[in-house]
Amino acid sequence: MSVPTTEAIASPRPRANRRPGRVALVRTGIGEIVGRRRLTRYLVGAELKRTHADTAFGQIWWVLDPLLQMIVYAFVVTVIFARKTPDYPLFVFAPILAWKWFSATLNEAALSITGRQGLIRQIQFPKLVLPTSAVLAGTVSFAFGLIALGIVYLFFLPRLSLWVLTIPLIASVQFVFTLALGILFAAMNAFFRDIQNVLRHLLRLWFYLSPALYALDTIAKDHPSLYTLFSLNPMAVLLDSYRAVTWGMTNPNWGGLAILLVISAFLVLVAIYLFKRAEPAFARIL
Amino acid sequence: MTTREPVMDPMRPAGSDVVPEPPAVEIRDLGIRYDLRLTKRTTLKGSLGGMLRRSHGSENHFWALRHLSFTLAQGESLAVIGPNGAGKSTLLLALAGILEPTEGEILSHGRVSTLLTLGAGFETELTGRDNIDLAGAFLGIEQGQMDEITPSIIEFADIGKFIDAPVKTYSAGMRARLGFSIATAVTPDILLLDEVLGTGDQTFRARSQARVRELVGKAKAIVLVTHDLSFVSEFCNRAILLERGGIIQEGEPGTIVDLYRQRVAERKLLAEEDAQRFAVVPEAVRTSR
Repeated sequence: MSVPTTEAIASPRPRANRRPGRVALVRTGIGEIVGRRRLTRYLVGAELKRTHADTAFGQIWWVLDPLLQMIVYAFVVTVIFARKTPDYPLFVFAPILAWKWFSATLNEAALSITGRQGLIRQIQFPKLVLPTSAVLAGTVSFAFGLIALGIVYLFFLPRLSLWVLTIPLIASVQFVFTLALGILFAAMNAFFRDIQNVLRHLLRLWFYLSPALYALDTIAKDHPSLYTLFSLNPMAVLLDSYRAVTWGMTNPNWGGLAILLVISAFLVLVAIYLFKRAEPAFARIL
Repeated sequence: MTTREPVMDPMRPAGSDVVPEPPAVEIRDLGIRYDLRLTKRTTLKGSLGGMLRRSHGSENHFWALRHLSFTLAQGESLAVIGPNGAGKSTLLLALAGILEPTEGEILSHGRVSTLLTLGAGFETELTGRDNIDLAGAFLGIEQGQMDEITPSIIEFADIGKFIDAPVKTYSAGMRARLGFSIATAVTPDILLLDEVLGTGDQTFRARSQARVRELVGKAKAIVLVTHDLSFVSEFCNRAILLERGGIIQEGEPGTIVDLYRQRVAERKLLAEEDAQRFAVVPEAVRTSR
């Protein structure tokens, strides 16, 4: 058998405790994510096969899950709270789907390092692929949810407009934002397992402070003083935009999305830097 | 059979124009420190408490290895022996690149093997075949080479048509066999062995030992960590005695094994004396009443 040429090979390989600069560290991190695409692809595949693997309906849950969730929220809000929003099921569907993508992905990403401590202590590989794959796997399930959106539209056809085609753009901004937070929480949870518990509650609070079940305009009408604060929430920009294009038949919040994209892109670089700084410690503390 | 001739001949006349091969591994003043405040399953509460009690800093650290230097030449095979907690496993983890040096540096020339304990990292929902792909991607083996070696991995693991069933349906022995088969599929230049020379049932153990011998024969340099001193003389031509993170003695395997046995015997004697002293105590208590 011939000696293999691999991505891991580098000879001679000096490993010393010198600390590379910030830019170099970020560049290494990005190089690792890009260079290990095949590993990322397998990890995403594994993640997708794991969810719903033991259920009778199997992959159908990808579509069924968001539909059932929408029915529950629509029932609670229109019947119990007697809110009179026209076409409420469509009103909440896209924002809830997007929120579910955000929160489920962050929870998965937070566990992505601690959940693989066995491997981390056995193989040397770039750990950045772990939170990245968690975020990508969440994105795939969001895409499946869009099939469910198609089904919902069968009941609300008059509200279908060409603006729906901007969903991928909004989702791209959300992807970058989620990736930044996912990488950060993955690294932090390796040091403090409390993060995973705090995160769950933090996300629940964040959900109710974000315009998923209600419109941002409702806040403007009822609590004008709080409006500015609420609209600074990145998730408000995103959820409001999803609602505008799926229910409101109008343009998304272009300005807000552009600002959020710039901030998120910067945040991703910061997250990669901090993650790379923490990475050597993972094998020692897990 | 596995006695290894050093590639560099010390008898070679000076001034020969042959460029000497670089050493397989060179370790210079290696130190690895664990931070006890951040080890396993820390919670915020525990570590905040630790930070408040920060005043005596050295108690929070533990040097698993310190001031360690040695060179492993091409063709050498080195045994690392020592009692539990001497830092043997930490040394292997550092050589494999899993732990980064806190101090000093490790220079390795060639592909270093993984630790032969794969299998803990299996995705149980995936099939054996998918897990082979995943492990290959983790190890950084290219797709082309994976396609080449996958049939031999499957054949060696000998798990029949289970290879296309989810790993969660495997017995413990099947998992171990698949893990071993993946871990040993690629011939490394520098082979790290952590005394896992027996996995699974009797038949597989014989086959796995044969496989390890094959790897030993092909590797350019070997580091073996073991408690089983019979392996040391069989596989190695040099040995290091490690105790509390430092090298006590370095030399011929026979000499080092003897020294280790002697120190173990001394320690046992001390322990027995201690035990006797403690055994006397109840007697003394009784007579004093």
